[in-house]
This record gives sequence, C-alpha cells and structure tokens, in this order.
Amino acid sequence: MNMDTPQLSFIVGEERRLSAIISRAEIEPLLRSLVKAGPVWAAVVDEDDLPLARQGVDAPLQGYRQIRHDLIVEAEARGALVMAFDPQLCPGADSLALLVRDALQLTVTNNLKRMLTTEMHTTVVQESYDQLMETNRQLLESEGRYRELALELERKVEERTVELQKVYSRMLQQEKLAAVGSLAAGMAHEINNPNGFVRSNLETFGRYFQKMMDMVQYYQLLIASNTPLPRLQQDTEKKRRELKLDFVIADTRDLLEQSITGSDRITRIVADLKSFSHVDESGISDTDLNAELERTLSVLAPQIAADTVIVRNLQPLPLVGCNPGLMSQAFFNIIQNALLSRETGLELQVASRIEGDEIVIEINDNGCGIPADNLSRLFEPFFTTREVGSGTGMGLTVAREIIGSAGGAIEIVSAGQSGTTATIRLPLAAGKR
Amino acid sequence: MIEFDEQLQRMVLKLVYYGPALSGKTTNLLALHDRLSVAGRGDLMMLDTTEDRTIYFDLLPFFYCAPSGMKIKLKVYTVPGQVRHDATRKAVLQRADGVVFVADSLAAGMSVNFESFDNLEKNLSMVGLAIEQLPLVVQFNKRDLPDVVPEDEIRAAWGPTGLPVLMASALKGWGVLETFREIVALTFDTVNARYGLTARYGVEKENFLSEILKVAA
Repeated sequence: MNMDTPQLSFIVGEERRLSAIISRAEIEPLLRSLVKAGPVWAAVVDEDDLPLARQGVDAPLQGYRQIRHDLIVEAEARGALVMAFDPQLCPGADSLALLVRDALQLTVTNNLKRMLTTEMHTTVVQESYDQLMETNRQLLESEGRYRELALELERKVEERTVELQKVYSRMLQQEKLAAVGSLAAGMAHEINNPNGFVRSNLETFGRYFQKMMDMVQYYQLLIASNTPLPRLQQDTEKKRRELKLDFVIADTRDLLEQSITGSDRITRIVADLKSFSHVDESGISDTDLNAELERTLSVLAPQIAADTVIVRNLQPLPLVGCNPGLMSQAFFNIIQNALLSRETGLELQVASRIEGDEIVIEINDNGCGIPADNLSRLFEPFFTTREVGSGTGMGLTVAREIIGSAGGAIEIVSAGQSGTTATIRLPLAAGKR
Repeated sequence: MIEFDEQLQRMVLKLVYYGPALSGKTTNLLALHDRLSVAGRGDLMMLDTTEDRTIYFDLLPFFYCAPSGMKIKLKVYTVPGQVRHDATRKAVLQRADGVVFVADSLAAGMSVNFESFDNLEKNLSMVGLAIEQLPLVVQFNKRDLPDVVPEDEIRAAWGPTGLPVLMASALKGWGVLETFREIVALTFDTVNARYGLTARYGVEKENFLSEILKVAA
C-alpha cells in the first residue's frame, strides 16, 4: 500500500439502496422455491418498485390474487416481496409468502449488519494505519533532524575543541607571565642588592686607587729629584700614613672579595631563574623532581618571610619523563599559595617519596586553610579569593592541567584553620601523555 | 445530518449516545427499544460486542412520516466507551445532529466522566462540529445505585456548562424517555431553525415528538 491508495471512507449511517444490501443471487433461490410451491409469479422490488429479481410466468396477472410484504431497512420500508397466486390452486400461499419475506428480511438485516461492521472495521484499520504512517513519518523526520543535529554538534565540538586548545595554551602562557611578573619583583631586589654594593665598592675602590696613584707619583717625584735614601724613606713613610694606605690596601682586598661574592650571587640567581623557566628546553625530558622543587623554592626565596621555617623531607626519586618547565610551574603555583597562607610564623613542609608505583609530593602549610565552601571550586578556572588584580584565578587550574597531562593527579585537603596539604601523585612510569 | 433530499422530502438525522465505558449507553437504547412502540421504530441493531461491551456501535432507527409527506429518519447510535476505541467513536460522531452524554453517577466515575467529556469535545472538533451549536444533553445514569454522587453536587459541577442535566436509571427504565425527549426536541429545534421543518415542510414539533416517542401499549 502506498500513500496514493484512494482512501475508503464511510459515513456511519449513510443510507443505502436495497440493491446494495441484498443481491439478486441471494434473492433468486428463495423466489424459485416459492414459485415451485404454487404461486405463478414472485418478485422482489426496490424502493422505486423496480424489480431486483423475479420468477414465474410473464403472462398478464389479471385474475390472480396479489400480496405485498414490505422489506424493512432501518425502520423504513425500502422494497417489498410481491407475489401473485391463484387462491384456489394454492391455499397455503399466504403463509409461504410470510416465510419467504422473513427469510429475505433476515438476510437484509444480517447483510446490513455485516456491511456496517466491515465498514467500521475498515475505517478503524485505515485510521490506525494512517496514524501509524503519520507517526512513522514524524519519527523519520525527527530522526533525520537529530542526525543532522548530531553531525552539526560534532562539527561544533571539534571547532570548540580547537578554540579551547588555543585559549588554553594562551592561558598557560599568561599564567607563566603572571608567575614571571611576581618573580621579577623579588628578583629585582635580589639582583639590585648585590649589584648595589658591588657598585658602591667600585666607587670606594676608585678613591683608593687614586690614593695609591698619589703614593706612586710621590715616589716617582722623590726619585726624579735624587732625594737621598734616608730622606726618601722618611718622607714616603710620612706620606703613607697621611694617605692611610695600610687601611686602604686591606679594605681593597675586602671590597674585591665582597664584589666577587656579589657578582657570584647575581650569577646564581640568573642561573636559578633560567633553570626554573627552562627557557632552553622544550618538551619532555628526564627530570629530577626534587631538583625542581629546590629550584622553585629558590626562585621563590625573595617572597619567603624571614621567620618562615621550611622543612624538607625529600627522599631520592628516580628521574621522571615530563616537561620540567611545566612541572616547576605547577610546583611554583602550589607553593606560592602556601606562602600566602600566613603572614608570620609560617611552617612549610615539602616532602617527596615513593608509594607503590607512584611518586607522591606533599606540600603542607600551617596557614589559614580553605573554607569548605571553596574546596570544591579550587580548580575552577578564574576562581579566586584574592583581591582583584592580585590573582588570576588560574594558578591551581593550570597546576591540575599540568599534573593531569603528565598522567598524575592533585588533591587538596584543608582542615579549616589548621593548614592545607596539597598532594601530587605521579606515576613512576610517567611520560605517557 | 446524514442526508437531506429536498426533492424526495427525506431527511436522515443522527443522534449519538456518548460517554465513558460502562456508563450505560447501550442500556439506554435497550430501554428505549423496550418502552417505545414498535410502530415508527426499527429493531435495535447491536454490532459485535465482547463481554457485553460495545466495540463498534449499536443502532436504533426511527422513521417518521409527517402528514405533509415529509419523511424524517432518526438514527440513534451508541459509541464504544473504552479509550482504545477512539477511532470508532470519531467515525460514529461524524455528522451527528445531537449528542447525549451518558455519565456515570458513581463517585469513582467522576474523573472518567470528565475525561470522556474532554474526549467528546476533542472528537467533535476533529469531525468539524462546534460543541456550542450542537444539541447536547447530559444524563447522569445509574441513579438506582447506592454509592452515587448526590444530585446537588452534580448540578453544582455541571450547572455552569449550561447544558440540560438529567438523572436516570437506564436499568430500571426511568429518566431514559425524558433524556431522549430532551435531545430529540433540541435537535428538532436546531434543524427547524436551519431548514424550516415546520414552515417549509409542514412538520409540527409536537406531532414529531409524540410519534417518535410513542410509548408501547
């Protein structure tokens, strides 16, 4: 069946002619039997008195008695059985006629009933079929729509993934810049301090150098004027004391030593920074996590209050394949949070150890702790409790990303006011990304 | 209206007994069949039923011939009340000239009454009939039973609809003729207003009613 099939439609109660209800083939056997029993002629006529079927002689019917019995369709006479007979020859014709009429009436009623049932059944089946087709069509349509949506969605997800990756790497860069910014302030002081006294020492040394030159010129002058030796000894001794050369020479030695120490300090700071940032490296390399922790502590040194107690419990660790620059960034972000947890009396514990097939790094402070409400939001991007402008809200987000991409996990536990512990777990066989 | 042939002076009208399952629609028709004179009415035709529940419809036809020669056939149908037979209900409802809503008086039947009435409203609009213009009578059946909702409660709930509400017990046979008279009269008025049964075809309402509602001797 297809949609072009003409629909059968019935109106329940529609009027129908007798000829539509009973057929000639159903009437004729009855009439034939009737005529055989005596009557000369019998017929069934419809509502317009036109015969549907007839039996018997075609002769004129004068002289015969005629009877007519109506056939009832839905309370209305819609045709009749008519019959002609000779009452002399056929005395039982009246009851015969009634018998045949009853048989016809029963057929009519039963046929009508069957027709109505069939029509109603067909209507219901047709409607159910139409409904099913319609439901099917709607389902197919919505399936198509969903398939389109799914494709579209996939495409959008891909687009957004690429976008997110770009944003993420930009964000990582910014976070790095932020860390460098906060480092720079401390570093500037650390470098300016030795640089300052090296410069001041050089200035002092310049004055000492002038004094030494004066002494040398005085010798040259006395020698040029052939001054006798005893006099020369006497005068130069006097000049030496005048110029305080003994002190100048001793102090010069100290100045130079101090300056070299200062210069060395600057060299070391620059080396720390450089190794912390791993500017020379990129990608994954075998990394000593303990060394990274030390470096991080060392570059953070300017931000560490003087009364801070740092407890290191770093157990030997095997080299781990990871991106050391990123890993030190993660340590930096976590340790910096610990440093900010308390203004004075901070006790910072940094521990590393092996547990099963994992490396565990614990950073613990005795600071202000984290309110329970905030614990679940710690790693949320841009979530920060610091004043506007002083925190990006990305520190822990970035830390988790870095540790996660090295196949590890970070967990932060805070017992309210009694400090916070960040636990980092990295697989020993790291390097799988 | 099923049919109107001006030349033949023949009109075929349709009345439908609607309502929830087991509210007594067929019983109404049986009671009419029993109480009304065989003259002018046909036999009650009951299409197949299962366990006494109508699955297609029942039909009780009436035939009236006015002194003027105008013939009016009135076909009275029931619909199956069960929810699943909605397609049948819709088919029977087509071209109806009047509807009797047979409601169940039992307290448990109140929500199904409303559901069925909603269904009637929906199906009427689907077959293109406006419920506001259609002669509609509500019958609360089974008043002979003990656990029925009191009449004043029913009237309070259904009064605002403005529909004629009648009480009946189709099983005991009372209220059935009154309901039928009400719907036949309303339907006559509506058809008369539109086709001029009295003015143009000489059909008198009282004569029509008394012929259709002729009680068996």
